[in-house]
Amino acid sequence: MWRETLILTKRSLLVTLRNPFSFIPNLIISVFFLLVYTSGLSGISSLPQFGGVDYLNFILPVSIVSGAVGGAGGAGQALVKDIESGYFARLLLTPVSRTSIVLGPMLAGMLQLFVQTLLIFGMGFLLGLSIPAGISGFFLTIVLALGFGLAFAGYSVGVALKTRNAQAAQAGTLLFFPLIFLSTTFVPKELIEAEWLKIAATLNPTTYIMEGMRAVLLRETIDWSVYTQGVIVAAVLSIAMVVFAALNARGALKK
Amino acid sequence: MIEVDRLTKEYNGKKVVDQISFHVDKGEIFAFLGPNGAGKSTTVQMLTTLIAVSSGSATINQYDIQRNQKDVRLQIGVALQETGIDNDLTGEELLVLQGKLFGFSKDKAVERAVELLELVGLSADGKRRAGTYSGGMKRRLDLALTLVHQPTVLFLDEPTTGLDPASRQQIWTEVRRLNEEYGTTIFLTTQYLEEADQLADRIAIINDGKLIAEGTAAELKALNGTERIEVVLEGEQSSEAFRQAFDGRIEKGLIILPSNGTETLKQVVRYLDEQHVTARSLVVKQPSLDDVFIQLTGQAYKEES
Repeated sequence: MWRETLILTKRSLLVTLRNPFSFIPNLIISVFFLLVYTSGLSGISSLPQFGGVDYLNFILPVSIVSGAVGGAGGAGQALVKDIESGYFARLLLTPVSRTSIVLGPMLAGMLQLFVQTLLIFGMGFLLGLSIPAGISGFFLTIVLALGFGLAFAGYSVGVALKTRNAQAAQAGTLLFFPLIFLSTTFVPKELIEAEWLKIAATLNPTTYIMEGMRAVLLRETIDWSVYTQGVIVAAVLSIAMVVFAALNARGALKK
Repeated sequence: MIEVDRLTKEYNGKKVVDQISFHVDKGEIFAFLGPNGAGKSTTVQMLTTLIAVSSGSATINQYDIQRNQKDVRLQIGVALQETGIDNDLTGEELLVLQGKLFGFSKDKAVERAVELLELVGLSADGKRRAGTYSGGMKRRLDLALTLVHQPTVLFLDEPTTGLDPASRQQIWTEVRRLNEEYGTTIFLTTQYLEEADQLADRIAIINDGKLIAEGTAAELKALNGTERIEVVLEGEQSSEAFRQAFDGRIEKGLIILPSNGTETLKQVVRYLDEQHVTARSLVVKQPSLDDVFIQLTGQAYKEES
């Protein structure tokens, strides 16, 4: 199964690289977000509740997560294209497991988000980012970004298989955009005033991803319990999405 | 080779394929003939594991299409009605990828790709992206992709629909060659009566989800009786007299006579000569699959391109 998954991931990457406009706009947008958030909002970090952390470190996870939400849709789009060209049916006719067939575009989507995350970090460093916990803070953030990226690419692939429609697949990922903002996006939880937003933030899985990243990015000492929560949320979501996608693979023929 | 037992597919309570049973022998060319929307593609999709079966069962080389799907996929090559080609990859890349997905080593996959490009006459185009291919080239690449793992059974879903007569002939030649040289069993669907007649060892006729007849072309034609003679004569009076003399009927301006081969023909010619009647046309018609279809369903057969 792993050999086939690897072959299909490589194929999806090759196809992505041959369609640069499928990923370049989102790369630019996510880097742009970071620039705007930092320049426009960094003043609030002088509030005592921030405890003296740099706002750039605080907002970096938002940029990574929103970049993932915007970019992961690409995996679903690529899949709809395969269904429309009939190539997906050709893949279903091979003895390869359905899981491998859906994992290919998911892993390619995840790697795309990995590159995107590196670029966001690059932009961060240009803006003067320094990570108090050092290199481990950097790597732990990447791990969490990969997990969330896989889950989200899986979600978009699953929606693509279920709807077999490019617009629906795109809309399906856009639905998740508000999730980014129903969270501790711009300020810590203690600063959220509206009770409903606090509840939303608590239920929202992206909160745990962003808080997990902040746990390793903000201070010299890493808050392992918060980070672990983030990893667990990412892992559970990823597995659920692989299953969701694989279950919808069968019969996903052109309408 | 293929055994189908009361296979049924329901969509929203409507039976698109309704309890069909048939078998295809090893090395046979079997045609599934029917008009548009008869349930041909749905049957192919079930037999090739692409969609779930509502009820009934089928085996391919003894492998059950519901329980041993992976084994079934190793046995079959499938060219669906629409080609299954990723336009962003080159012909060679697609063939190599296909080989690898069927478990070939990289070297073997490349070797097989080169061989197949040659076979379908695309050697010069292997390094170009498939998106730049013409419709005919894509069909040929698609056929090559179905042959990568040397399947023992080939499913061709309307392989010639929409093709011009020359391309249709080309596909027929290729199908016969695969059947004769490699002994490949071929299951093909078609809406063209002539195609089934020319190509298939045996034919099953499907209409409205139901199998309505099965047999060799000759057997099917024999179902619908006999040869006939179609005549058009000068003059209305003589036409009517002629019709009565031979117990014929009039259909769309033609006088149609039941025929017993050359004996009837001799009598007709003698009659025309003696009565000094001029025939504008006189044709001997063999029974056709068209007639069989009309007889069985009470409706004319419609082909669409």
